[in-house]
Amino acid sequence: MAKPTVASDWLGGCAGCHMSFLDIDERIVDLVELVDLRATPITDLKEPDKAGVTVGILEGGITNTYNEEVAIRMRERCQILVALGDCAIFGGVPAMRNFFTLEEALTRAYVETPSTDASGKIPANPELAKMTLVRPVHEIVKVDVFVPGCPPDADIIFYVLAELAQGRIPKLENNNLMWN
Amino acid sequence: MAKITIDGKTIEVENGTTVLNAARQLEVDIPTLCDHPELTPYGGCRLCLVEVEGARTLQPSCTLPVSDGMVVKTETEKIREARKFVLSMIFSERNHFCPYCQVSGGDCELQNSAYAEGMTHWPIQPNWHPYSVDASHPFIILDHNRCILCRRCVRACGELVGNFTLGFEERGADSTLVADLGLPLGESSCIGCGTCVQVCPTGTLIDRWSAYQGKETDVETTKTICLGCSVGCGIDVLTRDNRLVRIEGDWTATINHGLLCDVGRFLPMVEERERILTPMVKTDGKLKAATWDDALKVAAEMISKHKGNLDGVTSTRVSVEAMAQLRNLCEAFDAKSLLTTEDCQAVSAIYHQASSDQSALEGKVEDLLDADCYLTFGEDITKDHQVLSFFAKRRIPEGAQVIQITDKVSGFDNFATITLKVKEKSLADFLIDLKDLISGKSGDMALIAEKYSLDKDELQSTLDALQSSEKSVILFGSRFDFSNSDAVVSATRSLSQAANAKLITTKGNINSVGAAALGYEGAGKVQADLLLMVLADEDLTQCIEQKFEKAPKRVVFSSYVSPLTAGADVVFPVENWLEQDGHIINFDGHILEQHAALESAPEVYSNSNAIEKLASILNVKNNTDWKKELDKFTSPVKIA
Amino acid sequence: MKTKRSMVLVSNDPASQKKGASEVYNQFSKELAAFNLSDEISLTMVSDIHRDDIAPFVIVYPEAVIYGPVKPEDVHHLVEEHLYKGRIAVDLKAPTKQLTGPISWIADRKGTLPAEQRIVLERAGVIDPDSIEEYVIHDGYTALGKALTEMTPQQVINEIKESNLRGRGGAGFPTGSKWGFVASAQGDQKYVICNADESEPGTFKDRLILEGDPHSIIESMTIAAYAVDASEGYIYIRGEYSLAQTRLVNAIQQAKELGFLGENIFGTDFSFDIQIHAGAGAYICGEETALIESIEGKRGEPRPRPPYPTTNGLWNKPTLVNNVETLANIAPIIRNGAAWFNAYGNPSSAGTKVYTILGDVNVTGLIEVPMGITLREVISIYAKGMKNGAKLKLAQTGGSSGSIIPADLQDVPMDYDSFAKAGVTMGSGALLICSDKTCVVDLAKVLINFFRFESCGKCNPCRIGNQRAYQILTKISEGLGTEKDLADLGDISKWLYEMSNCGLGQTAGAPLKDVMSHFVNEVEAHINQKECPAGVCKMSGTMPAQK
Repeated sequence: MAKPTVASDWLGGCAGCHMSFLDIDERIVDLVELVDLRATPITDLKEPDKAGVTVGILEGGITNTYNEEVAIRMRERCQILVALGDCAIFGGVPAMRNFFTLEEALTRAYVETPSTDASGKIPANPELAKMTLVRPVHEIVKVDVFVPGCPPDADIIFYVLAELAQGRIPKLENNNLMWN
Repeated sequence: MAKITIDGKTIEVENGTTVLNAARQLEVDIPTLCDHPELTPYGGCRLCLVEVEGARTLQPSCTLPVSDGMVVKTETEKIREARKFVLSMIFSERNHFCPYCQVSGGDCELQNSAYAEGMTHWPIQPNWHPYSVDASHPFIILDHNRCILCRRCVRACGELVGNFTLGFEERGADSTLVADLGLPLGESSCIGCGTCVQVCPTGTLIDRWSAYQGKETDVETTKTICLGCSVGCGIDVLTRDNRLVRIEGDWTATINHGLLCDVGRFLPMVEERERILTPMVKTDGKLKAATWDDALKVAAEMISKHKGNLDGVTSTRVSVEAMAQLRNLCEAFDAKSLLTTEDCQAVSAIYHQASSDQSALEGKVEDLLDADCYLTFGEDITKDHQVLSFFAKRRIPEGAQVIQITDKVSGFDNFATITLKVKEKSLADFLIDLKDLISGKSGDMALIAEKYSLDKDELQSTLDALQSSEKSVILFGSRFDFSNSDAVVSATRSLSQAANAKLITTKGNINSVGAAALGYEGAGKVQADLLLMVLADEDLTQCIEQKFEKAPKRVVFSSYVSPLTAGADVVFPVENWLEQDGHIINFDGHILEQHAALESAPEVYSNSNAIEKLASILNVKNNTDWKKELDKFTSPVKIA
Repeated sequence: MKTKRSMVLVSNDPASQKKGASEVYNQFSKELAAFNLSDEISLTMVSDIHRDDIAPFVIVYPEAVIYGPVKPEDVHHLVEEHLYKGRIAVDLKAPTKQLTGPISWIADRKGTLPAEQRIVLERAGVIDPDSIEEYVIHDGYTALGKALTEMTPQQVINEIKESNLRGRGGAGFPTGSKWGFVASAQGDQKYVICNADESEPGTFKDRLILEGDPHSIIESMTIAAYAVDASEGYIYIRGEYSLAQTRLVNAIQQAKELGFLGENIFGTDFSFDIQIHAGAGAYICGEETALIESIEGKRGEPRPRPPYPTTNGLWNKPTLVNNVETLANIAPIIRNGAAWFNAYGNPSSAGTKVYTILGDVNVTGLIEVPMGITLREVISIYAKGMKNGAKLKLAQTGGSSGSIIPADLQDVPMDYDSFAKAGVTMGSGALLICSDKTCVVDLAKVLINFFRFESCGKCNPCRIGNQRAYQILTKISEGLGTEKDLADLGDISKWLYEMSNCGLGQTAGAPLKDVMSHFVNEVEAHINQKECPAGVCKMSGTMPAQK
């Protein structure tokens, strides 16, 4: 039987969850015996296979329309979708900008920061993604497994992937369930 | 008695026991958020709901009294779903950012409840409506985004402390925690006791110093005694890597039952003085570091030379053991006087009175818990010995009366039923006149009222209150410096007898009683040329420092640098209060045990050890049993 | 004090004026003086009673006879016959109005009559509420006198128990039982509280009793206090009812002056005093334990129950809390007996009920009819039918915590048991009658908004659940609803009932539940077709700015 395939991507996050994933260190050698790592932001393939993968992992919350597209694409192309980290599950630190209007946030970033001179203006190129309210991934697409943490411990990520690799949905509890 | 069956286990409990407490007795764990063992049950969070046979809906176990034959289930499918519903509602109401919160990862009861239900995400998202953060208070930060409206803080501020600063304004989804009628916490009537911080289940109320210093799983807890004043509150000292993290009230302590004031909880967090880590000897006019052996030799020589011409001075923050040892050493060298670092004569006056009366007629702290009339004067007990004022204030909603006699602004002004503005110099006379009125010896109310410029009706009300109460207490704040201390003390004692009221005097500092009981004279005059001073870690006022600086020679045991150490001849480094073991005797005669929470640096010894080293080099045997010494003097309060 | 033995009211409305009413009035004045009756008979004016056909008319009490149309030359005969000789002047009696239409079959039903049967509102609008004399003329304080001098407290309680009177505030709890609990509770001090915090939207029945007949409440409260051994009473009255408050203050003063209230009432050793406590605009303070908290000076948050106010109420003492309408039935029952009361309505629901009629009907207002009338009868007889011939879609009963009754239940008798069997509740008696012009989503949204606004905020399910439900319904009404929203609403409604601390939360989910069970298609049209069949919801596609 072919190895389960795994693809991942990051949305409105800091990439810390992927770094935490890499903290499994040498266990990655064991991991690739169990699964076939396909597209990730840190490997060469950039899109999950059109034919679909077994497990899709998303880090980071939905912060703009491009994130929405990526999330929808990942959901379409995977059987089991994993939301990795507090941003993907709760909105996380980026969700703090939800207290302000989009206008205020963009103005602050592109016009008002101390290092911006008078020429600062909000980019308006139609090809750019539009900013939205920061939302968790499961507000846009159905998520099957939630792995909270900021970031989730490498041990937890390894446990989750190992379970999925062996065809089981991981159940997080006790030391494996942490939102911080 | 009533029988109840919970999850198949049956127990018989007292009538009036709640289902939650019955479950606890059966070791059945029902999750709660708004409930707290020290507070009256609220029934607001709805996390503790259980299925009761025959009831239409789920019932809150924290408020439901057990009825005979009740059958309860705590872990059904419906209950688990209900708990998840409540938790997801709470998370969606305000803004909970777990990643960076100070209590996240073990100290947050909300998060722990979610973990217990296996929640990995929130089914319902928040509105992202911002709530304010109130950082106006010097010790406390209040972040409304994290508040779950459990009202523990409101109940603690009212029921435990009696200050009633915290409350709620608006209703429904607009309900908000407020201080007073909507003031920033730092500008409100908050007294900074921090009880609200201790009971808050989430990170809403945080103390600034301990934030991020360590979670409950990272710290060690030591039960010891606060040395802030003579009340001697039991505290839990949280330390990590031999560093102080936080001080909390010990709920199991018999004196304070978990209460603590800002003097005990927050002030000790800031220590800016320089620590003394090695012995020092004055050489060529300057203090130079020395070994213990060298320093002890120099000190011993000085003491021998000054036999008959030395005074022993102890700080009241020193244990009874060390005080006894110091006295022993001083007596061996014919010390002129045994003094303390206290700044007033109050405690000595009280002891003199007791020994001349030969009676230990004062009450104990328990007497404060259920009195219905409190008469207070002498010092502002809401500033010094604060926890005693909590016991009085919190009885006010139950109908207790607080009567204060003072001519100054005091913290009781917003609470006292009656304030009699009697001038300080007339206090002794007034107390005698009051005593005569009560005992019926004198009946001219109007004349007496006029004598002290008081309102006749208020004086009558005072009398009525004292005479009609079931249990009255006189709270005599004895950190005062009256020129006629003896007269005031004597008047107080006779007043308490005439009014049939329990007398409680606060008696100064933490071990003032210990010192007085061991025969120290208190704040007496410096007579000798050499002072043998055990200062421990006390932070003295300039006034007191100047008093002792007059003596030409000093041997000082101290934890921190101060003018008294700077000008001393020999300085020995000793432990501070957190590193100290030993006994102290508090205001009502309880012998309390201190336990060291921190380890001192290698060259730093305990006061006891240090004195013993000195004694041994001088061939003075330590043969005093401090326990036996206590029997030698009549104490105003029974020591036990 | 010389009491007037009779009262003559001469009509004074514009129609009567046109036909010479002031002449009639003046003539009465003359005739009464001539017969030397001016001191015994009170002469006053009365306004419109919707009887233009007999203007000017004259009403004489206590017989409650209506004479009309009356000409000045008839006055002499009227005064001589009726007021001097004591015989009703039959020839001058006004013809009674004939009621026609679908009510002809009602006359056969036992215990009901085609016209209103007023017990609690008997004097309201008839006597001068500021006059204790007129109250006394109308059998005022006779029930209290009977209770204090001829009955023991237990006998009073038994009478109320046998009357089968049930609480009229909305809960329908048997009044006699409640009195029994308080009477047998241990306590050195007991209280009686009249819950006059009428705040259910659409309900104003208590207001009419308090404004029109304040003494009836004072008398009934005193009887209740005697029965349960209470010495102090409170009337917790809604802050907005300032006229009722003024009238009550006045009435209490008058009652005390005449010895009907205060120390040693009726010369017995029973003493009782009443204080008025005004509310400050919180619906939740109509809940009896929140009301008690409010009187104690605290936030109006309901207490955990048990223990109940009957054992641990005001200041933790046994307390009896009754609604205004419930109390207004007490004096009549004591005066006329339990059997008389049972003749109205039916065994499960004795007596009458005041219903307030609102909505898409021709005539709104309030009526007092025996229990058991149906919705159809109310609409056709008293409301004079749906406005503009619209079709009945649903009625919302009992203010916001009642039920939504779909049109197919309009023939269910409106009494406690029949309604309970049909799965609906009567609540306080407000009837909001809605036609096809009402959208159920909009109705549910408005009702939930009321609960959201009035929630006290103590318990999570109600405080947050109502907020969420309101947001979801707003979403649906703007055309942004999803299937998940329906599921969420179902959950919120279920858990509101199971988990809330008090009746407000428990019943807040009722409108949601009712709408989902009877009108789910209409709700789904909003979600799936993005349509509002009644044409009410905005369906704008965007959420309005929110707090």
